[in-house]
Amino acid sequence: MKKNYAITLLFLLGFLVSIPLYAQQTVKGKVSAQEDGAPLPGVSIVVQGSSTGTVSDLDGNYSISVPGSESVLVYSFIGYTTQRKIVGNSAEINIILGEDISQLGEVVVTALGITRDERSIGYSTQEVKGENLTYTKEQNVLGSLSGKIAGVQVTGSSGASMGGTQKIKIRGVNSISGGGEPLMVIDGTPISNSNFSGSSGQDYGNLGQDINPEDIETINVLKGPAASALYGIRGQYGVIMITTKKGKKGSDVKVELSSAVFVDKVSNLMPYQNQYGGGSSQTWRTLPNGDKYVDMSVDESWGPKTDGTLARQVMSFYPQDPTFGQLTPFVSYPDNIRDYYETGTNVNNGVTITGGGANSNFRVSVNDTRIQGVEPNTSLKRNNVGVSLGVDLTKKLKVTTNVNYAANNGRRPGQGSEDGSRYLGQWFQRSMDMNRLKDYKYDDGTFLNWNLRRPSTSTGEITNFNPLYWANPYFLANENFSDDNRDRFFGDVGISYQILPELKVSAFVRSDMYTQNINSRASFGGTGNPGYSIGKYQNTEMNYEFLAQYNKVWNKFSLDANVGGNFYDRDYSYLSMATVGGLTSPGFYNINASIDRPSTTSYQQNKQIKSAYAMVSLGYNNTYFIDASIRNDNSSTLPVENNSYWYPSISTSLVFSEWIKSDVMTLGKLRLSYAQAGSDLNPYSTTSFFNVGSTYTGSSTVNTLSVPDNLNNPNIKPSFAHSYEAGVDFKFYEGKVGLSFTYYNQRNENQILNLDVSGTSGYGSATINAGEIVNKGLELAITATPYRNDNFSWDMSFNVSRNRNEVVELYPGIDVYQYGSTTYSSTTSYLNSYVGKPFGSLVGQAYKRDEATGKILLGGNNLPLYTDATHDFGTVLPDFNGGFQNVLNYKNFQLAAMIDFQAGGQFFSRSKMLAVRTGLDPLSAATNENGMNVRDPLAEGGGVRIEGISAETGEEVTAFVDAKAYYGVVARRIYEDWLYDASFIRLREVSLSYNFSKAQYAKLPVENVRLALVGRNLGMLFQNAPKGINPAELSTGSQAIGWYESGQLPSVRSFGFNLNVTF
Amino acid sequence: MKKLNIMIVAALVLVGCNNFDDNININPNVPSQASGTQLIANAMLSLSGLSSSPQGEFMSQYLSETQYVNASLYPQSSTSFYGWYQGPLMNLETVLTADDLSGVEGPVPNQLAVAKILKSYYIWHLTDRWGDIPYTQALMGADNFTPAYDSQESIYTDLFKVLDEATSQIVSGSITNDIIFNGDMTKWSKLANTLKMLMALRLSEVNPTLGKEKFAAALQAGVITSNSGNLVFKHLADANNQNYWYNQIDLQGREWWAISETLMDKMKPVSDPRLMVYAAPNRTDGKYTGLVFGETVNIDTEKYALLGKAIHAQDAPIYLVTYAQALFAQAEAAKRGWISGGDASAEDNYKKAIVASMDQWGADKSTLNNFMTQPEIAYSPAMAMEQIATQRWVHLFMHGYEGWAEYRRTGYPNNMVSPGGSDVPNRQIYIETEQFNNTDNYNEAVQRQFGGPESLYGKVWWDVN
Repeated sequence: MKKNYAITLLFLLGFLVSIPLYAQQTVKGKVSAQEDGAPLPGVSIVVQGSSTGTVSDLDGNYSISVPGSESVLVYSFIGYTTQRKIVGNSAEINIILGEDISQLGEVVVTALGITRDERSIGYSTQEVKGENLTYTKEQNVLGSLSGKIAGVQVTGSSGASMGGTQKIKIRGVNSISGGGEPLMVIDGTPISNSNFSGSSGQDYGNLGQDINPEDIETINVLKGPAASALYGIRGQYGVIMITTKKGKKGSDVKVELSSAVFVDKVSNLMPYQNQYGGGSSQTWRTLPNGDKYVDMSVDESWGPKTDGTLARQVMSFYPQDPTFGQLTPFVSYPDNIRDYYETGTNVNNGVTITGGGANSNFRVSVNDTRIQGVEPNTSLKRNNVGVSLGVDLTKKLKVTTNVNYAANNGRRPGQGSEDGSRYLGQWFQRSMDMNRLKDYKYDDGTFLNWNLRRPSTSTGEITNFNPLYWANPYFLANENFSDDNRDRFFGDVGISYQILPELKVSAFVRSDMYTQNINSRASFGGTGNPGYSIGKYQNTEMNYEFLAQYNKVWNKFSLDANVGGNFYDRDYSYLSMATVGGLTSPGFYNINASIDRPSTTSYQQNKQIKSAYAMVSLGYNNTYFIDASIRNDNSSTLPVENNSYWYPSISTSLVFSEWIKSDVMTLGKLRLSYAQAGSDLNPYSTTSFFNVGSTYTGSSTVNTLSVPDNLNNPNIKPSFAHSYEAGVDFKFYEGKVGLSFTYYNQRNENQILNLDVSGTSGYGSATINAGEIVNKGLELAITATPYRNDNFSWDMSFNVSRNRNEVVELYPGIDVYQYGSTTYSSTTSYLNSYVGKPFGSLVGQAYKRDEATGKILLGGNNLPLYTDATHDFGTVLPDFNGGFQNVLNYKNFQLAAMIDFQAGGQFFSRSKMLAVRTGLDPLSAATNENGMNVRDPLAEGGGVRIEGISAETGEEVTAFVDAKAYYGVVARRIYEDWLYDASFIRLREVSLSYNFSKAQYAKLPVENVRLALVGRNLGMLFQNAPKGINPAELSTGSQAIGWYESGQLPSVRSFGFNLNVTF
Repeated sequence: MKKLNIMIVAALVLVGCNNFDDNININPNVPSQASGTQLIANAMLSLSGLSSSPQGEFMSQYLSETQYVNASLYPQSSTSFYGWYQGPLMNLETVLTADDLSGVEGPVPNQLAVAKILKSYYIWHLTDRWGDIPYTQALMGADNFTPAYDSQESIYTDLFKVLDEATSQIVSGSITNDIIFNGDMTKWSKLANTLKMLMALRLSEVNPTLGKEKFAAALQAGVITSNSGNLVFKHLADANNQNYWYNQIDLQGREWWAISETLMDKMKPVSDPRLMVYAAPNRTDGKYTGLVFGETVNIDTEKYALLGKAIHAQDAPIYLVTYAQALFAQAEAAKRGWISGGDASAEDNYKKAIVASMDQWGADKSTLNNFMTQPEIAYSPAMAMEQIATQRWVHLFMHGYEGWAEYRRTGYPNNMVSPGGSDVPNRQIYIETEQFNNTDNYNEAVQRQFGGPESLYGKVWWDVN
């Protein structure tokens, strides 16, 4: 049955190509291209008004029989202007075809790298040109897509993270489990975009960042299943298709140097109060001799007023400190957190050499990036080498190869509530001088810490100088760092053979392989045990691919047909080890230094997918197009008896501007498509296994085993997505205004979920097929050239998209899917999805309210009461996303600016909550309605004013309550107060450049020089969330959905210049 | 055309290949088989968690919080029982439902008996904390993701039965991988009977008739007769198997807990020799100063007695079911008239229990006689119930949940305080997730027990006073 499908399809194909030809008189000639004079093979030559036709051969030559001298020959080829010639007396007609600029969007690269005329495509694709990506030297390809493509949401991370994660979602959340990242494909080679980060700790970033942005010619985003249908099981969530720059045949060798230097500054810190210093009470603590001292055992700022009172500060308890025993003024250090950050630098140098011989083309690029982070002792070094070669061995046989190498060496800052220095904005003393902490090591090798146990109440001395909760941030940066490095190769070798002018076959071997190393250390002298861990992760993905392409144009018909197959083979393994129970000697960081038996894990994984596919596109009169494709995938991760699945798609394009002739409308096109896509699951999810538990060595050694928390499923099926899409594309005024509008409806059903189930079943979750999630959306992209003359032009592009999501169904008896949860101080909040609501509701503790009035209910002590952690605060998904780009050219100047924006969505900010709870935030030292500080005694008019209804008496209460007690409840238990709207408008990049060319400056010793001043991440033009919290940088490591912020790294603003020299 | 046809065939051949290597989807990184005793051993590793919890210590007010005081103020927040089901209980259930247990690691009936005893112990612990819990429909994996809650009464009834089954199926021969009793089945049998006896005593208020019957039967069958029969989890001087409090206090440097004044008041006035084991003197004047339970402000840990070194040593053991408990139970039963001997037997068992406790904790017994003759301690028929219960509570130090259960049953010690006006809770609140994942059964169980929303103050079945 399955095979019949393909056979029928191919029969149809065979029938269409075997239409017979007949003739009387012969015309010969050669067709070549206008831009480089190269012969054009495959050009359709038809006698107008008849069914007689032929195509040019590999050398562009053709020969056709015509009825007589009055016959008209029509020469047409995708992407070129059609020409008509009266035969007359000529026996030889040579034709030069020019590229057709009036055609919509010209040729686009579609799935499997097949180039197509955009007017023939029945689904939405959107392309970004490489030069739009490298204006500002954004290092992560996905990050540079933010705001540039309708329907794409990019969630970034702070520049301080050094190559941190950029996440991309196409057309909303299409998976109930929140995952669903698009496939990244570079020159036809699928590459890994996985991530080694957790939700806290170092953010190692998404692996897609190994692509050198300088190498990118174009990026095409295949948004819906119709576009990505040919990628089958791997393309369900869309495809990011990257095409790299290549050398051109027969061109001179060209050398291009580029150099960029950027300075990074922390830009957006939270505000802090500067009236009260470290401690938990405004009453001074005293030593036995009566001296006041600052309470170093408290990591909060609820202490005495920073009024200059003379007191013993923590340093004065260190006998080796110059201030030992001294009383010093107790003051605030308003910039103490800012002082911690340094000025970062980012230096990028690159060389590109391109060229080509008569039968070959090449491009070589080398890039070196060195980043010094804004956090002390953080850095990232990256090297890219790219080689792309093409050789025509014969006229018919071509060999091409792309090889890319990327090396990364990072020492990155930790992030998350309690990682590295991230506690500074959450648990700290406003009275701590950061510049004192900077010299974190005394000459005798001991460390200066600010958070210690209190001095002895008898001697007044401190003898234990180990940090209590937090170590000195400089100690953490300089002694407890984590290093990572990755070596990676990806690329392909391909061979293609032009059997007939219409028929080409090609075969490719594609590979993506990397080795990732991560090690981290915990030094002696910190909190907890010293330790060392190391991990080595290796991944090899091979794709073996075969493709036959058939293109033919005759009469008014055009045919594209493709048949192919792919074998995917992935091997992944890792080895990770960590010391247990401490290290044997200081400074010796090795697994061999483990005091107890070290923990080790070795892991290997293999996955294979075998696929075959076919696609046929039929066009009529360059007006009506219909595409159909079918793909079969066999995934090794599915149960053996159930591992083969078919995914069809169909799409159509109608160029209605061919019917309605208009001076205004240059092009109008309607497109419709339907597709199915599927996805499989991770290896080893269908068979049962046991976990290895701790080993217990009592009288004998006992190796324990346990039942895992997730229940695997031997009957799992792939999930299916059904997608409908309709859209229109317009070009007005010869392309000066373009508009593209799309509506889509994507239904993902029978999803493969690790559904949380009641733990009383014995499992915390179970792998099941269940649920349905629907995304509906609108996408609008507008391009315009409002003005253009010889000296001045203004180009703009704007896009916006709106996505509506609903979880339609889960599992019988279970109405909620828990995506994630976060717990702090025994208070948990969740990201849940409920049936009948959009994906991703924030759930947590809210104020308990009086049902009648909605007023807050108060307990006996007038503090607010709160609900349990089941209150649904609504979805975190945004309403709109988009971007707006303007480019102004005046003579040799160019000014470009880019804004991206998001409306709606929300998140929970733990940083803000903790800053208030610990007395760092200005809210905790605000002036109340009595004109007094909220920290002043209640008897004197201090306290936080609260209005509500007493839960006990039911009576309205207006009272002042102690600020610390109040925020001890509100900023610890009541998440409702710490949720923020995620809307923003961000000025993402601005560049001003000047171009010197030899054409203008004859004395210029080089071909071209371009100098640009660039600003990146300049700041928010608008945000609803409080200052210091960036709603656009919620990416927390590998989490698929950014829904809360906890110890977010501060935003970083970059300024610099960028120099390009072409020889 | 010909070439095209060849390619079509080639593509179709590819389509036909949907076979992979047979083992490609078998996880090579983890075992696909587990022996019964390896699973049981893993379930044993979880035993220490029954006691290693600040929450338990707060419930019985053994320890006061010194910093970030909150959890000891009895906030109305939920506590998850999922870990117990997904962890030890599921391992034990896998053993109990296996059809291919191997006798190589000891007689299969003995493996099953140990699994039943441990399962009963965990379930008993859970039902005493939360009330009704999923039991008969629990642990069925894909066969039931939404198990109904069984009433506590029916759980007790069934556990008595299961413990009887366990003891009666024991055959000669030891099992391997037993990190508790090293395969000694006699000890397992005695443990089962002791559990049954202690469970029977729990029914003293709600169903004394049944309690008396089960108590006598358990005693008759043979309970723990020395400290060597104790159910103890022995931690190791090894980071993989170390004591919870060692990690908290020694590794993380947390001075978050001080000995409560509630406990100190029952120990210091009578110069209890165990005090020097339980507590370290304060660092201000070297005295044993308890911290008022629920105190929230200006706590200087130097001024209070913190946990004794032996309690938070890396390999400090966790005492779960002990000889002294069995003796206290017999003392109480004698006093109640459940077993013969009256006050004489009660006094004898009471004294033995205290001595067993001293031995267990490694207290200095040189002052034992003085201690035993003090009026508060010396057995008095009029005060017997209080004395037994109070001494049992002192003995149960650091096994907070058990101390709390006995407090709820007996009302002793008599000096428990109500921090911020909140009384000692009567139970724990079910995890919120149950409201989503097991909605109907959750609602039914809450309605059945409390007739309205649940709270910390709803009472479990046996808690009728």
